[in-house]
Amino acid sequence: MKTAILGMAAAAGLLIGGAPALAGQYKLIAAGTPVTVARSGLTVTPSENWNHLGPRLGRNAESWTLDGLTLNDVTFYGGIAGGETLFKARNAKDKPLPPFSATMLPPDIVQMFEESYRIANDTTIFTVDKVEPAKFLGASGVRFTYSFTSKDEVARKGVANAAVVGGKLYMITYEAPVIYYFDRTIDAYAKLVDSGVVAAVK
Amino acid sequence: MRRLLGRLLATSLLIGAAPAPAQESGPGYKPQDKDERGLWMQVDEQERQIKTSSFVIRDPALNAYVNGVFCRTVGEAACKDARIYIVRVPYFNASMAPNGMIQVWSGLLLRVRNEAQLAAVLGHEYTHYQNRHALKLFRDIKQNTGAASFLMVGGIGGALVGLAILTQSFEYSRDNEREADAGGVALIAKAGYDPAAAPMIWEQVRQEQEATAAARNVKPRYQNGGLFATHPNNLERMRDMRAQATAITVPNAVTNEEAYRKALSPWWPQFFDDQIKLNDFGGGEFLLGQLASAGWTPALLFARGELYRARGQPEDLVKAAGFYRQAVDSEKAPPEAWRGLGLALLRQGKRDEGQSAIKTYLQKKPDATDKAMMAMLAGDPS
Repeated sequence: MKTAILGMAAAAGLLIGGAPALAGQYKLIAAGTPVTVARSGLTVTPSENWNHLGPRLGRNAESWTLDGLTLNDVTFYGGIAGGETLFKARNAKDKPLPPFSATMLPPDIVQMFEESYRIANDTTIFTVDKVEPAKFLGASGVRFTYSFTSKDEVARKGVANAAVVGGKLYMITYEAPVIYYFDRTIDAYAKLVDSGVVAAVK
Repeated sequence: MRRLLGRLLATSLLIGAAPAPAQESGPGYKPQDKDERGLWMQVDEQERQIKTSSFVIRDPALNAYVNGVFCRTVGEAACKDARIYIVRVPYFNASMAPNGMIQVWSGLLLRVRNEAQLAAVLGHEYTHYQNRHALKLFRDIKQNTGAASFLMVGGIGGALVGLAILTQSFEYSRDNEREADAGGVALIAKAGYDPAAAPMIWEQVRQEQEATAAARNVKPRYQNGGLFATHPNNLERMRDMRAQATAITVPNAVTNEEAYRKALSPWWPQFFDDQIKLNDFGGGEFLLGQLASAGWTPALLFARGELYRARGQPEDLVKAAGFYRQAVDSEKAPPEAWRGLGLALLRQGKRDEGQSAIKTYLQKKPDATDKAMMAMLAGDPS
């Protein structure tokens, strides 16, 4: 989904012409300092400097990158409540996204994620590769890997860690092109996941 | 702007207001002037991208079948100039570009019920191609926005961007659509197909759009299928096509429903999976009902269970479990039907039954990619 948004932004910039590039929309996230993400009780401590993409993807979703979102993309979903979608639909009338429900089992969450990606990215090339139980934010959760190709025809791999805490969905995903980038930055993602702490939202 | 490009490149469905060029496109036809050469250049580039796209389905059997239907419909000579690409996009659409590139979306193959209906769509597209409707549109756009903006838009986004936009952005001109409708009916009749198939497909698409809208509690927008969009005269078009079809007598007319089912059967599971994951409960239920017109097979029951379970309301989960149970009565049910049954039951709080179903799934599919997760849900984290 991130690639789609970036593509749109780039296209808009080109078409409008003269609009400042994306640079202004990024904010530096400094290494070593705990930071609250996605307007939620989710806090992570990055092990290196990251860039935060300014526009949020949804009420409780935001993306970070090291080299640009098409090359590596970490997205935080902080406390998605029942009835809410992972991110904002671009065409909610004709292509609504499936909502989260607190009664979902881990495989249901994986499927909701897959559907959201297929719809938002306009792609049919999306497969879930492996699904396993994994602790996340101190709760019993799920870790899954996936592969997909969007309209830019670049094959990407992704990995997600998710858990339902207090009836809300928390998830951190990482995705990057299969060639070179995925392996290069996956450790930085793993450190972010390990550093995650969730506190009660005010 | 990209919408304009989408419209243009997807020549087929489009209509322009300029008077029809006298000459028809067909075997050996070459672009006549600067405008037309420019247009061809654009679609040649689009085809270059499509050729290597990971969205193209290259299965030789399926391609040979669709190509065969096209050739039967338009004749051997005309079909030599065309190149068909079956593209895995789950919506209802097809197009034929001025250079002879045809795109058929997988969502169309899922929706069409027999060979005659497929032929009708291909005949409709071929008529747009033959009458060079795309060129008229190109000239319209150029006149209104200038060639520079057209070329700039052409540089952004790939072929599939144009396609995706195509499903949402049509404005049809009645005259060219009528021309294509009539051309499609005439072509399939000439090929020996039942001409009544042509109006039927539009009717089905309309019904599906209504089903989609009803399940979402909104008014139907008639926009999800690019071939059949927002015009107020859709009913009139259908009526015209019915009248044309009735007026033609085709001795021993066929629909070749069996041949169609056979050719498509290896692909139904994937096409339907793509459909289920669109979060379109009403449309999915409608399409399943159509596919099950000859009876509910284990594969269709499984798909229906998946559709209901994905929506996940309490009553959906009860129904989903029922469909999975009917599916697993047969040895032919996919192992995933046991998985779905287990998940539907667990989510209803029926732990023992649910865990038992999941264990059966894992026995039937020991190398499942979600084995670790499912084993834990089955209470067996080994």
